[in-house]
Formats: sequence, structure tokens, C-alpha cells
Amino acid sequence: MLARVADNLFWMGRYIERAEHTARFMNVNYFSSLDAPNTVSQSRDFVLRSMLFMVGDPPPEDAKLEEDKVLFKIGLDRDYPASILNSIIFARENAHSARDLISTELYYSVNKFFHFADSYPARSFVKTGLFDFTAQVTEMTAVLRGKIRGTLLHDAIYAIIMMGVNMERAIQITRIINAKYNDARKSLGSYGDRFRNSYEWTTLLKCAESYDMFRRFYKKAPTSLSTLEFLILNPDCPRSVMNSLNQVHQHVLTIDPLKASDKDSTAFMVGKIRSEYQFKRIEDIEGAVQAFIDHILTELSAIGSQMQKEFFHY
Amino acid sequence: MPKTQPSIFSAYQRNPALFDEVFDREGSILKDYKRLMKLYGKQSIEDYHELNARAKASFFNQGITFRVYSDDKTNEKIFPFDLFPRIIGASEWAFIERGAIQRCKALNMFLWDLYHDRNILKDGVVPLDLVSSSENYLDQMRGMDPPGGIYNHISGTDIIRHADGRYYVLEDNIRCPSGVSYVLSNRGALKRALFGVFNHYKAHTVTDYAENLLDLLETVKPHGVDIPVTVVLTPGMYNSAFYEHSYLAKTMGVELVEGRDLFVENDFVYMKTIRGPQKVDVIYRRIDDLFLDPMEFRKDSSLGVPGLFSAYRKGNVTIANAPGTGVADDKAVYSYVPDIIRYYLGEEPILANVKTYRCGQPDDLEYVLEHVRELVVKPVDEAGGYGISIGNTLTDEQVEKVRKEVRESPRKYVAQPILSLSVHPTYIEETQAFEQRHIDLRTFTVMGQDKTYVLKGGLTRVALRRGNLIVNSSQGGGSKDTWILKNEP
Amino acid sequence: MSELYTITYQAENAYDYPVVESSWQFLIIPEENASQSKPRIRFTSSEGSPWELSENGFGFPVIRIRNRHSLESIRFEAEFSLTKQVVNPFDFDPELLEPYEPQRLGQLPFRMRFDNFLKSTPLTCLAAGAPVFSFDPGTGILENLQALNAWVFNDLKYTAGITHVDTTLEELLVLRKGVCQDFAHLFIGIARAHGIPARYVSGYLHQGMGFFGDAQMHAWVEAFLPEVGWLGFDPTNNIMAATNHIKVAHGRDYNDCAPLKGVVYGPGGNRSRHQVQVASQQ
Repeated sequence: MLARVADNLFWMGRYIERAEHTARFMNVNYFSSLDAPNTVSQSRDFVLRSMLFMVGDPPPEDAKLEEDKVLFKIGLDRDYPASILNSIIFARENAHSARDLISTELYYSVNKFFHFADSYPARSFVKTGLFDFTAQVTEMTAVLRGKIRGTLLHDAIYAIIMMGVNMERAIQITRIINAKYNDARKSLGSYGDRFRNSYEWTTLLKCAESYDMFRRFYKKAPTSLSTLEFLILNPDCPRSVMNSLNQVHQHVLTIDPLKASDKDSTAFMVGKIRSEYQFKRIEDIEGAVQAFIDHILTELSAIGSQMQKEFFHY
Repeated sequence: MPKTQPSIFSAYQRNPALFDEVFDREGSILKDYKRLMKLYGKQSIEDYHELNARAKASFFNQGITFRVYSDDKTNEKIFPFDLFPRIIGASEWAFIERGAIQRCKALNMFLWDLYHDRNILKDGVVPLDLVSSSENYLDQMRGMDPPGGIYNHISGTDIIRHADGRYYVLEDNIRCPSGVSYVLSNRGALKRALFGVFNHYKAHTVTDYAENLLDLLETVKPHGVDIPVTVVLTPGMYNSAFYEHSYLAKTMGVELVEGRDLFVENDFVYMKTIRGPQKVDVIYRRIDDLFLDPMEFRKDSSLGVPGLFSAYRKGNVTIANAPGTGVADDKAVYSYVPDIIRYYLGEEPILANVKTYRCGQPDDLEYVLEHVRELVVKPVDEAGGYGISIGNTLTDEQVEKVRKEVRESPRKYVAQPILSLSVHPTYIEETQAFEQRHIDLRTFTVMGQDKTYVLKGGLTRVALRRGNLIVNSSQGGGSKDTWILKNEP
Repeated sequence: MSELYTITYQAENAYDYPVVESSWQFLIIPEENASQSKPRIRFTSSEGSPWELSENGFGFPVIRIRNRHSLESIRFEAEFSLTKQVVNPFDFDPELLEPYEPQRLGQLPFRMRFDNFLKSTPLTCLAAGAPVFSFDPGTGILENLQALNAWVFNDLKYTAGITHVDTTLEELLVLRKGVCQDFAHLFIGIARAHGIPARYVSGYLHQGMGFFGDAQMHAWVEAFLPEVGWLGFDPTNNIMAATNHIKVAHGRDYNDCAPLKGVVYGPGGNRSRHQVQVASQQ
């Protein structure tokens, strides 16, 4: 496979996944804030700030935010690179340039996805369409994942796309944790709320579509530690950082099985980080959560650069 | 016996001056179309309208589109497609096929001769000046033997039927003829929309094009290569024909590369893959000659591969079509094709040429200047239907303008009588009715070493604007599925 | 009798922004021919990139380099050494010289043999009725070409920095100033218009005699005389090409002989400098 095309497929996977997480974050945060148990979490300003924080664009403290402008920016703004619409556009451009390699079915779905988002009316999106739009985006990305798994040969092409999907998932989950961790601190004590038992942990799990899984696993209400443990370290939670890294590792080996022991390879690097997390206990990071989040983000970005160098340099 | 016309054709108006492919002069349905008309006749115009809308949506969602750039936004459009197919009977097709092969073979021999001994020039059959003055003649190709001796691996021959019922070749396209992907997607769309009708006809499949193309390209692999690696070279995803490039790469199962994916080392070509460089042996290129290699041709080309031509000269890679084929599909050379066929093959041309006046010749020039109104005047070197003036549609002022332009640079123009292209019933969305529209046919011929293949289908292009004779897709043309029958029903 | 030449060619390219991938092709190797020996080649670049020998579309040897890392500037240095036989341009039987007869030159076999050096190119195209030298049918082809050589030499004033590589004859005939390329193109345009095959030659000029050449690669012309063959004319200096002219390549015009072609991937402009030195050890 051509290095340039591999790069495009990798990024197609990443943008599909990015669109999904951004959409779900908007959806869950907005709608769970409406009946949140404390006033801070209920505040529009608080929710909008949380969304902007998550896409990496936190506004200054004194900025006055207008709801429809913020929603438009993150949802449908063509001029804002991190908007959901742009993620979808980029996913489709990347699919387009590699359309000879992906299945007709997958391209068809990516293309339909693009036409859906591209023609979504901005006015109704900011007034009444937030739920509909973001829910459809998450539905359609699920369809895309199904097409990726079900209509492509599980060879290098599939591995590259899944590497992108899982890298992006690990990054987005970490960013969501970061954003909600920040929210939990800000909403601290506003309604007798404790950091440990903050309402934000429930929202966080829902943002990662992991609340039900969490309840099944722990059988009690989420706390800061159990939530982080579940979303970062639990290898069986399909949205956890650990699970994503396991998958990245497996796919890297498909692409180049001989490189696993080469200490300069992506495979080696991912394997190393993976085993670090595998033997980490959540108690180890208690009290240094922010540092740990920063550490994960740094390592993920290092993996990204190594992949770039190893597979996509053309 | 009273004639009953199918309902959706009840408003169909026949202009008796035009050659209708479906009805004879008396208005009876021709035999190949009888069953089809019956089947279509079961639809109401509303049903048909809906089918049409659904087929369009399917093209759109599959991304079988071309892009139109405007100020604020990129728009995507589908190529207009008509659901009423064109049928060509077995014996008629056999004639067209033999004619197309004859032409392509003769043009290949012509190219070999032009780049080697130049006997046809020495014998004065084709004037030297015509070749010397052609911008498409590449001096770099002199004395080069392309692998397998093939220059025009892929040829698109544009054929029309005149009011006299005869087929004529309108032009040869032997640089990078496009359109074959539409043949295949038209068939797909028609099968989806009207699957029932296929049970009643035995039409040749068109889906074997890609495998035949790959097979034949592999017959002209470079010397000493065992299992060749073939790629399709595209200018990139913003090119209007990108869909076709990716379609061909995908159906041949080969890589679709851009110039920047390739590099040349020690006169061999490699592509950059995730596992390092991989040697490339056959390049089906969809970029023009002058963009192939910035070291040899246009130095500002970012589409090409530095050093590619050297690798080609050394015989280390096959380029299809060969560089320099453009000299033989020039509109000025067109008028010599019958002579070229006689010269190399000793045969009479099977398919007729349209009478062509060469404005570079004094007698012809004089005739053209006097008869602008009765002629189609074409620039020799423009593609895509641009710069063509059709005499009977011109104002006095425009006629003067054409005269002036032709007089100023006569060699840049040829002229032909105004042909009356045959018409085919075509669904027109604005009027929600079937109307007569002009059509032509592009056939696709692939030549390999000792083996030639003609796609049994071809692209029927239709001029959607009423009365328009230019059927090119860049000029508002659409297309129809084309059925070649296995035997007469 | 022969000369031993050592030629050094230096080039330096600098870019406004780093370029990520780059290729260069040098058409600077002295041709191996009847009077020139196969040259010894030494080539280095400041990046230490490996180089390879190839041939361009007309069969002339070129040096090629490809870089895959980012760079902002690069220097190249080539050194060629060869022996050159002393050349007498008039080393042929004068009996063979033919008078200038346009009808004979216009015959098909002759035109066909040389059509690539008879057709006009954008750089050698003369407008109809341009006020230029006209051949005298009363004398021979050689006399006419020598007179043309002198006419071009006198008509243009050698001045650097006025013209560029894309200057057309139409522009040149207004400016009446230029460098060796322009002299060669004007000679070629006029010769071809009279039916004489003429080709552009690039190479090195040994400056020992105080010729015009400007420490750059030089350009002159070869014209074809029936029964005699190709003869070199240097209109920049109004002489016949001889021992001091070390030929590299020929072509239809400058574009076929450009000494350095670079293809870089990256934004922004670039500047380049070249320098040539020809030394002889007798």
C-alpha cells in the first residue's frame, strides 16, 4: 500500500472517530445539564465552556458566550477546523483519495454521511436540531464502523484504518476525561457536591457511551476513581484507553509483524506503554490525576509521530 | 392494424428529417426495440419520473460525480444519465468493432512509422509539415521502441450515425480517452432501476473491461519482467475524471498513484509504500505527455515524476498510452486516416470518415470561407468541444468572425459538413416527457501484443439541450446505457 | 596536438522556506565525441547526497540527485577533465561546399532528415518580415553562414542581465542586447528560416583568449552543410567553434540544453547561482 494513501486511510479513521466523540460530547453534556442537580452544572455558560475546552479551545474567563454561536462553531462551522462538519469533510476527502482501496459500501456510507452533514440547515441546528444532528452523527459513525469491519478484507488496509480509529479514540477519551475532570473541579461544592461523587462522572461515562457498562461492572454509582479506572485502565471496556492501545498494538503487528522486537518501531513503543498501563493500579495515580492525563496525552502524541515516521513518510 | 404507442411515449414527437434510432420513417418501432418499448410502456410517466429521481440519488450517494468550483462552496454534480437504453444489434456491432480495430491498428502502425523510418512521409501520403508543426509530436520519441511495439494501447473512437443511416467516425482519441467508467456505472444504475427488462434481452456484459485492460497491459510489460506491477497514474483527486481513475485502479486491483508517490532511481521506477520502495513496471497514465516528467517536458509540472522519461527510454517501464501518440489524433491528421489505413493495411476503411476540408490547403480554404454557413469549423487542437462553430446557428457577425479567424491562421482549422446526428428518445426532466435528442457513441479499444479487445458496449453520449449537436459532457451532455445484443431477437 | 582541460562547475540553490523533497538534473558533462575524450567526473553536493548517471530524452548523459530530507540551501560542485584534439573547423574538402540554393534545400528527403532542427520553436521563432540578415543566393552556404555569424555579432551588444531564459527573438530584436543564448537563438532562427538545419549547442568556452563567455556555461550553434556535415559557429564571438569550445549537448533551443533543472516540493521562491571555470594544462 502506498504510504500517502495509508496516511489518508489512517486519518479517515481518525476523523470518523473524532466526529463521533465531538458529537456525543455536545449531545450528552448539553442534555444532561438541563436537569443537573447543581446550579453550576445547569448553567449554559458552564456547558458551553466545557464543550470548547473539550475541542481544545477554552475561552478566556471573562468571555461572554452566546449559545447559538458556540453550537454552530463546534457543529457546523466550515471555517472552524475542529467542527464536526469539518471532521466529516476531512474523513470524506481522505476516503475519496483512497476510494480505489476501500469497499464501495464503505465509500457509499462515508459519502452519504458527508451529504447529510453538509446539507444540515444551520439555523435549525442551533435552535432545535442539536439532539437530532448529534444523535444522527453518532448513529452514522456506528454504521461506518460496521462497514469498516464488515466490508473490508482484514489486511493492512483494515489495520491502518483501525489504527487511526483506535488512536483517535484513546486521544478523544483522554480529552473528554480531561474536560470533565476540569468541570468536576469547577462545579465543586456548589450543591453540597463532592468531587469524588460529582454528577460530572456520570456525564463523563455517558459521553463515552460507557455508563451502562460501568453500572454492570461496579454495580454502584460512579466515583472519580472508579470512573477513571474504568475509562483508562479497564481492558474490557471498549472505550477505554487501555482497550484502544491493545487494538492499536494488534493492528500495528498486522502491518509489520517483524518489527515487534525492533526497539525503534511503533509496535515496540505501543507495547511498552501498554504494559505500563497494564500493571498500573488506579491508587497509584490518585492525587496526581492531572499529571497522569497530561502524561497519557504526551505518550499518545509520541506514538502518532512514530507512526508518521515509520509508515506514512513519503 | 392500428398502431398503439406505449403510454410514456404518447407525447413523443418525431421530426421526420432526423434519423430516429427507435422508429422508422413511418413511425413503427424497429424490431430490436419492440420488446423494450412494451416493457417501458407499462410505466406511467409518474412512475418513470420517480425511477429517474431514484437513479440520480444513487449516483449522488455513490459519489459518481464531478466537482464544480464556485466562490463559496464546492458543488458536486452527477453526470446526467438517461434510463432509456440504446440497443445495437449483433451484426451492426460486428461492423463497428471491425472498423474500430482496423483504425486503431493503422494508427499504431502510423505512429511507429512516424517515430522510426517515416516512410509515409517520404512517400508523400501524409505531408511532413503536418507532423513537424504538430505540438504533439515528441522528438524525444524518435527511434524509441515502446514495449510490444504498441503506442495507442487504449483508444476511444467517436462514431456517429448520420441522417443517411451510415456510421461515420467523428474523431479518434488516443491520448487518455476517458468515459469508460460511465459505461460501467450506467449499466449498474440501469440494472438497479429496471432489473426486469434485462431478462428479456441478451446483452453483452461490460464488466470485463478492467480485467481485459490489465491482461493486455501486462502483455506489453518491460523486457525481463516476470510478473509486472501495474499502477494507474492520476493527477489527483481534484481532477474531474478522478472517479474513473479510482474505479479503474480498484477494478484492476492495482494501486492508484500520484506523481509524488513515485520516484526514479538508477532509471527504474518505484512507488513509496508503507513497507518501503516497490518497483513499478507498467504505468497506465491519465496525465498528459507534457506533465509526465518535469526533467524532460514541462518543468513546472508537479504531477509528474522526475526522471520517468529516462526510465522509459531505457525500457525499464511501460507507459500506456505511449508518450507522443497525440500526433495521430490531431484533427488535421484525422482527414488522412483513410489514406493511412490503405497505406499500412492495404484495405479499404470499414468505417467512413466525415469529409474534411483542411483550411491549410488553398482550395479547401477558399471553399470553407465561402461556405461557412454550411460547415462545422473546428480548431485542430482543442478538446472537449470548445471553439467549434456550427455554421447554420451563426449570426452574420459570427460568420464574419469565423472567416477572419480562419483566414488569419488557416492551418489551425478544419471544417466538415454539418452532420445530422441520429436521435434517440430521451427523458427530459423539464418537460417530463420523452423527446428526440442527438447521440453519438464512443467505443473503447485496447491493444496489447498480438491481442486486441473492444469493449462490447461503449458510451452513448446524448446532447440534452434541444438541437445541440455537441454531445461532450463538459458541454451539458448526458449518457445512456448501451446494449450490444448477443443475437438478433 | 591536444589540450587537457579541467572544468569546474559550481551551483548554489537557496530557498525561502525549507523544501521537503527535491530532485536536480545536471546537463553539464562534456560530450564524448571525435575531438573530446570521455571525461573523468567528480561530483559532490553539500548534503552528501548520492548521485547517479542517466540520459535525458535525447540521449545526452545527465547527473541526477534526489533528496528526501528538508533543506534550505544546497551547493553542488562538479569537476570534469578531458583531452580535446586541436580542431580545425575547415578540415574538409572545399570542393564539397555547395552554393546556397533554397529549392534544393527545400526537397522533401532533406527536410525530413532534419525536420527537428528546421522547425521553429517558441525561442527561435522569427516573425515574418523581421528586419534580419538575408542570405545571398549568389554565394555559398558557408559564406552565408559566416556572414550571418558576423551579422549577429554586430547586431547584438553582449550585455548580461537584460534578457532571461525565456526571451523571444521578437523581444530580442527590440532590445538588441543579450548573452550567448540570445546570440545563438537569433542565428538559429535566421538559419532555419533559410532552410539550413541549425541546432543550439551548450558547453564550456576556454576563456584564455579573452572571449565573451562570462564564467557561465556558453552557447553556440551548429549548422548543417550538405556534403560537409555539422559545423560550429559562435556568434557571440564571431568565430567558428574550435578547440576552445568544449561541447556538452545540443538541442532545438535552450530548453533542450538547460544545464540545471530542479524540482522541489515546498512553498516560496528560490535563488540560484552558477559559476564555471575552464583551465587548460598543455
